[in-house]
Amino acid sequence: MEKPASGPDPARLTVALLGNPNTGKSTLFSALAGIPTRVGNYPGVTVEEKLGRFSHRARQIDLIDLPGTYSLAPQGPDERVAVDVLHGRLAGVPRPEVVVVVADATNLERNLFLATQATELGLPLVVALTLCDIGRRRGTAIDTELLAERLGCPVIALATPSGEGLAELRDAIVAGPAAGPPAPLGLEGAAPEDSRPAAARDAIRRYALIERLLDGVVRRAPAAKPLPEDRIDRLLTHKLWGTLVFAAVMLVVFSSIFWLAAPLMDLISGGMEWLSARVSDLLPPGAIRDLVVDGVLAGIGGVVVFVPQIALLFLLIAVLEGCGYLARAAYLMDRLLVGVGLSGKSFIPLLSSFACAIPGIMAARTIENRRDRLLTILVAPLMSCSARLPVYLLLTGAFVPDVAVGVAWLRLPAVVLTGMYGLGVVVAAAVAWLLSRTFFRGPPQPFVMELPSWRWPQAAVVLERAREAVWSFLQNAGTLILAVSVVVWALSNYPRNEVRIEADIEAQQTQLADRLTDAALPPAERAELSLEVASLETPEGRAAARLAAIQRGSLLGKTGRFVEPLVRPLGWDWRIGCAAIASFPAREVVLGTLAVLYNLPAEEAEGTALERRLKAARWDGTGRPVFTLPVALSIMVFFALCAQCASTLVVIGRETGSWVWPVVTFTYMTVLAWLGAFATYQLGTWLGW
Amino acid sequence: MAIATLTLEDLPVAAEARVADVIGDDAVAIRLLEMGLTPGVVVRVMGRAPFGDPLELQIRGYRLSIRRAEAARVTLASD
Repeated sequence: MEKPASGPDPARLTVALLGNPNTGKSTLFSALAGIPTRVGNYPGVTVEEKLGRFSHRARQIDLIDLPGTYSLAPQGPDERVAVDVLHGRLAGVPRPEVVVVVADATNLERNLFLATQATELGLPLVVALTLCDIGRRRGTAIDTELLAERLGCPVIALATPSGEGLAELRDAIVAGPAAGPPAPLGLEGAAPEDSRPAAARDAIRRYALIERLLDGVVRRAPAAKPLPEDRIDRLLTHKLWGTLVFAAVMLVVFSSIFWLAAPLMDLISGGMEWLSARVSDLLPPGAIRDLVVDGVLAGIGGVVVFVPQIALLFLLIAVLEGCGYLARAAYLMDRLLVGVGLSGKSFIPLLSSFACAIPGIMAARTIENRRDRLLTILVAPLMSCSARLPVYLLLTGAFVPDVAVGVAWLRLPAVVLTGMYGLGVVVAAAVAWLLSRTFFRGPPQPFVMELPSWRWPQAAVVLERAREAVWSFLQNAGTLILAVSVVVWALSNYPRNEVRIEADIEAQQTQLADRLTDAALPPAERAELSLEVASLETPEGRAAARLAAIQRGSLLGKTGRFVEPLVRPLGWDWRIGCAAIASFPAREVVLGTLAVLYNLPAEEAEGTALERRLKAARWDGTGRPVFTLPVALSIMVFFALCAQCASTLVVIGRETGSWVWPVVTFTYMTVLAWLGAFATYQLGTWLGW
Repeated sequence: MAIATLTLEDLPVAAEARVADVIGDDAVAIRLLEMGLTPGVVVRVMGRAPFGDPLELQIRGYRLSIRRAEAARVTLASD
């Protein structure tokens, strides 16, 4: 934000766009100023600040897109910001010299509520009537001249696809300062009883005023036949078809980020691997190469890989929002979520979180209510995202016996897998319910939501929304995620001590040889152990063992050993503890880390080699297997509930504008994960699984 | 004055009525008034969400959704 010039600069003009939500304000912004010059937050609050710029008649116009608001008697922070900007009370934001009130022509009565309030600001005003084409097709004729005369400011009819009225609007904006503010309208009429708060009395008198203002301005001719959008509306609100359409739309939303994004993500991963290989060839082996390839490039790959999901989800959300369906989806799902302290608007963010919590948390931007938004963000990471699936699949495949549960077709592994998904949902519901009744208690939150009528989404607005989401992710969260990945990479690779690394490998060889001398060893295990011993003799096996030793000797590895007493009650040995801690950058890393810790190349994390190695793993110095059914279940429960995903925590920090919330999320999820894993292991052992 | 006060929550789907008043003077009451549910306005219940809550209303030429708890605070005139 540039500093306001001292005194009005005749070559520049600051203009604010004020309007109700869903009035086509974003469309008008794009039509006037194109791509915004700045999108960010207002200082100190997480309310979106959007600025644009255009020139008209030798004036440079700085356009401020105010948050959508229903009233200038502010209730939420968004509305307060709008009012503060309009009064020039927000530090660093110049007071607008002209206000453009965006009013939906198909819903004029309600929209004039804000417009008449704006006449009292003492600023030059222009009323932009959007969606006039839709209004006309519905048989509504608006006498803009008469309305302009009564309001005391220009009223300009706009139609989006044709660009009708845009030139006139630009002229009216530039002429604003010369025209001056409109004369006060005067809220007369019978004042209701005085016990009501001022804002309530004002509202009642204002609607009486609007009814007088509109008398003779709006003429309605009954539409000849039902319009296509009305027929669509009827289908969407139908009890049966409406529900089916809703299910289909949600399926499309979910599958597009779960499956459609996958090839794009593979492409990005493949590209990054290719790049890493090329860079590896260019640089001499050593610490610098490791930092560039395993730290920085891997970190960049870990950021860019989220882009397809974010872009797809925001494209879909923008389409749904543009055609008015987002509000309807919230309406349909509200009852289901209000019981646990959330609202209907939490549905899409939570559904998206089953694919990945990052686009899900970002999608919570569509929730206007702060309390609901924060609660949604806090529980979204509990939904079982796609990164947990490989962990579930490997452990169920290796340790859950394939037996029938009750009926022949219902197999135990499927039950366990479903249970893991169910666990996330149940715990999220419980956490949301508990938080909404304790820390997030407050006055009842009004759920007063407009259900916009069906309209066709505007391509420019849809693309801008997706572009903006991706850009803000890369710019704000991306750099931080990259920094975190580099730090975690360093922590899991340093300090290294060559003497200790060699000693560690020697010790392993001795231990393996010891176990092979045991005559009672089952043949399968003997084979696996011999394989492990043989691999330690090969250069590749030696290199893998070296990596494992580095990992164990690193700060993270040491922490893993240090916290062993903490993970013992979960049935884990120090290796699992290490893997869990080292998976802080991202959950899926746990398999790679386990593979590394068991002297396998990380690429074998999803293969049967890791499965076999885990089955052969023994507690240090004993013949007792590490991985049993209770241990496998305890690991799965831990990963279902833990917050081992640095990117998610960074995005929570960015989206809430405070570092308190990532800390809260990490703490409560880790505690729940530990308790869940503890209960699972102890119960499983007690039941003799 | 009506003896048993009918509220918007009691209004069946497709029925129309005139608003008498909005009970209370908190943020919820103010927002309902600001959205146009002022005394004297005609409101029509367009439908209810699958679980019976929230309601979909037609008022002042647009569609508004409010929860039953909020609808219970909107009293109706007995005409």
